[in-house]
Amino acid sequence: MKSTLVDNKINMNGSSLNGQKTEVKIAYIDNVAYEIKDGETILSFVKRNFGKDLVPTLCDAPNLDPFGSCRVCSVDVALQENGPAKAQASCHTPVMAGSYIYPSSDRIQKLRKNIVELVLTDHPLDCLTCEVNNNCELQEVAAKVGIRDVRYPEGKNHLDRKKDLSHPYMTSDMSKCINCFRCVRACDEVQGQFVLSMAGRGFDSHIVKGSEVSFKESDCVSCGACAQACPTSAISDVFESKSIAKAETTRTICTYCGVGCNLEVATVNGKVKSIQAPIDAEVNKGHTCLKGRFAFSFYNHPERLKTPLIRKNGELVPASWDEAYEYIAKELTRIKTDFGPDYIAGISSARCTNEENYLMQKFIRVVIGTNNIDSCARVCHSPTALGMQRAFGTGAATNSIIDLKYTDCIMVIGANPTDGHPVTGAKLKQFAMKGTSIVIDPRRTEMAKYATYHLQLKPGTNVAMMNMLLYYIISEGLADKGFIEERTEGYEDFKNQILANDIDELSRITGVDKELARKAAMAYASAKNAMSFHGLGVTEHSQGTYTVMLIADLAMITGNIGRRGVGVNPLRGQNNVQGAADMGCQPHQGAGYYDLTNPDYQKMYDDFYQTDMPKHIGYKIPQMYDASLNNKLKALWLMGEDNVQTDPNTNHVKAALGNLDLLVVQEIFMTETAKMAHVVLPAASFLEKSGTFTNGERRIQRVNKVVEPIEGTKPDGQIVVEIMNKMGYPQAPYAPDTMLEEISKIVPFFAGVKWDELGENGKQWPVLPDGSDTEILHIDSFKRGKGKFHNADWKESQELVTNGKEFPYIITTNRELEHYNCGTMTRRTKNAEILTEDVLLINPIDAAKHLINEGDMVCVESARGKIDVKARITDEVLPGILSSTFHFPEIRMNDITSSVTDSDALCPEYKVVAVNIRKSKGKYKLEKV
Amino acid sequence: MGRKLLLEHAKVPGIRHIDTYIQHGGYRSVHKALKTMTPDEVVEEVKKSGLRGRGGAGFPTGMKWSFLAKPEGIPRYLVCNADESEPGTFKDRYLMEYLPHLLIEGMITSSYALGANTSYIYIRGEYRWVYTILVEAIAEAYAKGYLGKNILGSGFNFDLYVQPGGGAYICGEETALLESLEGKRGNPRMKPPFPAIKGLWQSPTVVNNVETIAAVVPIVNEGGDEYAKIGIGKSTGTKLISACGNIKNSGVYEIDLGLPVDEFLNSDEYCGGVANGKRLKAVIPGGSSVPIVPAGLFYKNIKGEDRLMSYESLSDGGFASGTMMGSGGFIVYDEDQCIVRNTWNLARFYNHESCGQCSPCREGTGWLVKVLDKIEHGKGATMADIDLLWDIQRRIEGNTICPLGDAAAWPVAAAIRHFRDEFEWHIKNPQLAQSKNYGLVKETVYQTV
Ligand SMILES: Cc1cc2nc3c(=O)[nH]c(=O)nc-3n(C[C@H](O)[C@H](O)[C@H](O)COP(=O)(O)O)c2cc1C
Ligand code: SF4
Ligand code: SF4
Ligand code: SF4
Ligand code: FES
Repeated sequence: MKSTLVDNKINMNGSSLNGQKTEVKIAYIDNVAYEIKDGETILSFVKRNFGKDLVPTLCDAPNLDPFGSCRVCSVDVALQENGPAKAQASCHTPVMAGSYIYPSSDRIQKLRKNIVELVLTDHPLDCLTCEVNNNCELQEVAAKVGIRDVRYPEGKNHLDRKKDLSHPYMTSDMSKCINCFRCVRACDEVQGQFVLSMAGRGFDSHIVKGSEVSFKESDCVSCGACAQACPTSAISDVFESKSIAKAETTRTICTYCGVGCNLEVATVNGKVKSIQAPIDAEVNKGHTCLKGRFAFSFYNHPERLKTPLIRKNGELVPASWDEAYEYIAKELTRIKTDFGPDYIAGISSARCTNEENYLMQKFIRVVIGTNNIDSCARVCHSPTALGMQRAFGTGAATNSIIDLKYTDCIMVIGANPTDGHPVTGAKLKQFAMKGTSIVIDPRRTEMAKYATYHLQLKPGTNVAMMNMLLYYIISEGLADKGFIEERTEGYEDFKNQILANDIDELSRITGVDKELARKAAMAYASAKNAMSFHGLGVTEHSQGTYTVMLIADLAMITGNIGRRGVGVNPLRGQNNVQGAADMGCQPHQGAGYYDLTNPDYQKMYDDFYQTDMPKHIGYKIPQMYDASLNNKLKALWLMGEDNVQTDPNTNHVKAALGNLDLLVVQEIFMTETAKMAHVVLPAASFLEKSGTFTNGERRIQRVNKVVEPIEGTKPDGQIVVEIMNKMGYPQAPYAPDTMLEEISKIVPFFAGVKWDELGENGKQWPVLPDGSDTEILHIDSFKRGKGKFHNADWKESQELVTNGKEFPYIITTNRELEHYNCGTMTRRTKNAEILTEDVLLINPIDAAKHLINEGDMVCVESARGKIDVKARITDEVLPGILSSTFHFPEIRMNDITSSVTDSDALCPEYKVVAVNIRKSKGKYKLEKV
Repeated sequence: MGRKLLLEHAKVPGIRHIDTYIQHGGYRSVHKALKTMTPDEVVEEVKKSGLRGRGGAGFPTGMKWSFLAKPEGIPRYLVCNADESEPGTFKDRYLMEYLPHLLIEGMITSSYALGANTSYIYIRGEYRWVYTILVEAIAEAYAKGYLGKNILGSGFNFDLYVQPGGGAYICGEETALLESLEGKRGNPRMKPPFPAIKGLWQSPTVVNNVETIAAVVPIVNEGGDEYAKIGIGKSTGTKLISACGNIKNSGVYEIDLGLPVDEFLNSDEYCGGVANGKRLKAVIPGGSSVPIVPAGLFYKNIKGEDRLMSYESLSDGGFASGTMMGSGGFIVYDEDQCIVRNTWNLARFYNHESCGQCSPCREGTGWLVKVLDKIEHGKGATMADIDLLWDIQRRIEGNTICPLGDAAAWPVAAAIRHFRDEFEWHIKNPQLAQSKNYGLVKETVYQTV
């Protein structure tokens, strides 16, 4: 018998009691029996038992579905021992129980050799001068199967195909193409962009971009997935990232968004040469976006700050580090003695490492003695942290991105992941192309185009929208009673209040059709597992925190918490927003989120830091500006943030910063904010330091130093330590391992985090003392015990109440894939050649009303100021709604944004600004950075 | 004279129109199936009939139907393969052109049996006029209530669409056809999963040839057992054969399976013998993809028995001395035809039609052409080139995603196997080979009738 059946407990009906039949199936490799796993292909079966080298492959790739076209992986399969065999492509053929597999029979070896020989007849043999020499899968396979010469006479071939060097990053040389389709599949299956395809048949088959255009003209989003997938140099990039010439590689984490892609950075002679995405990275499995893979050349841009600067007679002049520290320490001491510690504040950075954020808040709290510490999380996800803390007890994503494999429905609210979080965005898009998806967004984003339901609401009406969905879930009887009963509190009141809503009124407020909302609500509520994702379109509103609480309500009312494929999953904006908050960079909670006003925790902090810690809540960022204007704040320390560019209402921010006695800015470039500083300290970039970043799914990952800091610069952490020392505090030198040791003692969910044990894929917090980590939160109970339902009524934004009459349009700000925030880094790379300017999205009806044509300059005016920006006419936005990005400071988008903030978390309302428009008279000129 | 189960009324004036068609007994199978039979009973009749797929592979249709997955809540499809592009095959065109309602009737009855509420006829793009005929016939069927909602009050809803093909032979391969029908480039899919599990739009699908579907009509009307009485062994029923080449009467014939090949080729009722009194050199009996057989192996198998027009008899002897029924494209070569030239021509066809996915097929068919070109046109070929040809076709056969690779390899293999001396003659006489396009006379395999 070839297979044995170990069947536990079969009941009367013939099906087993526990639903588990364990059948051990076997197949033979070279006549030796091995156990097979369910659904396994012959290739994975052989690989599992004999390693990856026994069977050569060409069209197969680790992150792509099997394709079965090259046939190099063929093996002999027989039904009896040494019986008549048939060659089968192992990469896609399921292994059959009881079959006899001969992976290297003489016949098969000959077959492989002959196939590769055929392939080589149409491939140049100039390996020595090829970019991927020694790192070419074709070369490797040819060597493995023992090709010595090619028996075929010269014939028609494709060796004279032209190279495509049109694109700033992507290159192709199709004379090297072996038609394996890996690039096509990478573009389809990994990125979901469908740029590449095979044109022509048979011998004329050739890879084309779009309808036979160049990379530059195509819809390519430069993710590089095709180049990485290509086994030869037929598709590559300008950094020749597949060439292994003299390169060393270092694994680190991308500095851009909260997805947290792992990068493998190649360096030559201490300089970064190129970046690839490791296939074994759990987060990104060989994928990145163009920022992670290509936008690194800012790091040694000539404009990097290389020496400290001190303002003397109104000018910033070079100074030594000692001078700078001396100056800062003197000023800080003076202000602290004359006015008190609360006249000093610090703003930490979600761009920096956990260790640096921890140090920054420690410096402000322990050395200065105030809780005036905040971070740029304030302007993005502070409402998420607050809202989810109120509902669940923890302000972090409840699940992991891998859960997309297990979910049946996704709801994306106020997020544009294909631009903002490209790698997660690609996965969401892949999901939306196949499964049920709901997108709630005022813009018809790329996700919305693929969505099953797009609820295109009016900006600023999220609360009303959520109430609509909740209303239908309750009224259609889809609430999960069991879950509500067992796991939550406050439901009865909540339910009554929701049902008291006038649904017609809500539909009028949001502009969303009732029936559409009902269908979407039912899709979410009736899916077996549903996941929600939200972004800044939820948080950057006056009712941001409330919306987050209602999103939490949606998850609880449908029981979508505490298992695979469900949950509330904020898409964290910056690489380390999660970490900055975890480390205590907020004025009301210290490291580990302990409430600073609770006497028990006050004592705990006092004991831990062995000093009398500040006890009252400090300023949030907007309060810092107000305090400065009221002469209540004298000094501000900024670590890696360009508040002038990025905070709303620029004039207000400038006035506040201008009123300070001391503004210290740690930066890598001379930003608009740095230009206003009294002291500028040149910092090192992410490639030049070590530490950890925590991504949007709570994954603490190791950032490893790739190159030495550019001469004259220092890692931010080191700068903070040095100033702490200067001010008399004995902080040990900056090193990630010792810093993590300290952090693990105070931040409870870091208890088991050790630098040496994080490995390449990091760990998801909470990390227990034994080092085990957590993929899913709130499995058996919520952090706060029972989940709490909260109601919220929609309220018109103050901005529209005050200015809506005079300024009848609403502009909402957003991001584009190619750039990151105000472009400090990405605009110093070739990304600027791909996307060159900010544009104003405007509906054709509005454009016609104002006689605006495509490409015209439009003057956009708000109560605060006006800007000129180029029109792009599109139905991505509804009439009355405008949208633009803020990547190009020349546009001064934030001149017009308002100071209205979220009522509870004080996150600015970037997404709703009342404006008026007219065709601009003047012609705006683009300055080069 | 054989029965005509399919073509009986082909030449009746106006038979393209539904009224005439009904007057001649049309749509009886729809009434019978929808009103008196369960879907499973229809499947059962088809199983009993022994009908084998007429698209080329000859797979038992009843068995194929019973493999169709039937998961809850997921639609199922029947797709009719009318892409007929195999050189030498034109029987489906004939059937659809003269008897469009026979196909539509078969589609309704078969779809009922399979539980498909939407089905498609994917027709070769070049058959423009046939497409128009079908579209008109479908409109008539809708008007008469044979298509649409609640057909004949049975509660069965059924919509039928015709889709013109993309102009590539490969789109006749069933999974490439499905890709093309979905609006994509017609590249064959890997199997498994088979269409019966994941076919059109990832739903369970049966793909059948035009003639197969048409044959369901007489099977339902007369009963599977009656149908099975015609023919011999596992070759039951009648078969359409399109005959062409060097014969007196080219055309489409409906024969009882089991008819002796001699009678088919030489009787006046059918091909009428080799034209112009020439001698027979070779036959490709089942469309260009099946092996060519020399005259000496055509009439009798190596055991000396008469060959019959049946699946079993034609393939008797395997590839060493037999061939295949294939799609029924019967091509006859007289003594003046050059096998090398013919092989080169076929190789060019397959090279041109290879979709280009599989390395062995894409590169291999290219080299078959290059090497055959050298031999045929006296461009300095050597005897080693014959071995090279053999080697290339061996690398292709069985080593590709779809059977086009095999179809490209088999004609070359058979030509070398049976006519190796003709290849050698071309290599030895490059000038002659260039100037004349006939092969050497090889008495041993010739046979005059
Ligand atoms: C290259 C290629 C072309 C084919 N072309 C056709 C065709 O034109 N018509 C057809 O019915 N079957 C064609 N077939 C066979 C189909 O794949 C399939 O087997 C057939 O449609 C099944 O129908 P049947 O079971 O009724 O024969 C082709 C197969 C290959 C490999
Ligand atoms: S770079 Fe990305 S988007 Fe562009 S063609 Fe390659 S895979 Fe497609
Ligand atoms: S470009 Fe590269 S990946 Fe694409 S088919 Fe050619 S060899 Fe394969
Ligand atoms: S065998 Fe030829 S036609 Fe068939 S899939 Fe492969 S390359 Fe395409
Ligand atoms: S690796 Fe299996 S066919 Fe290419």
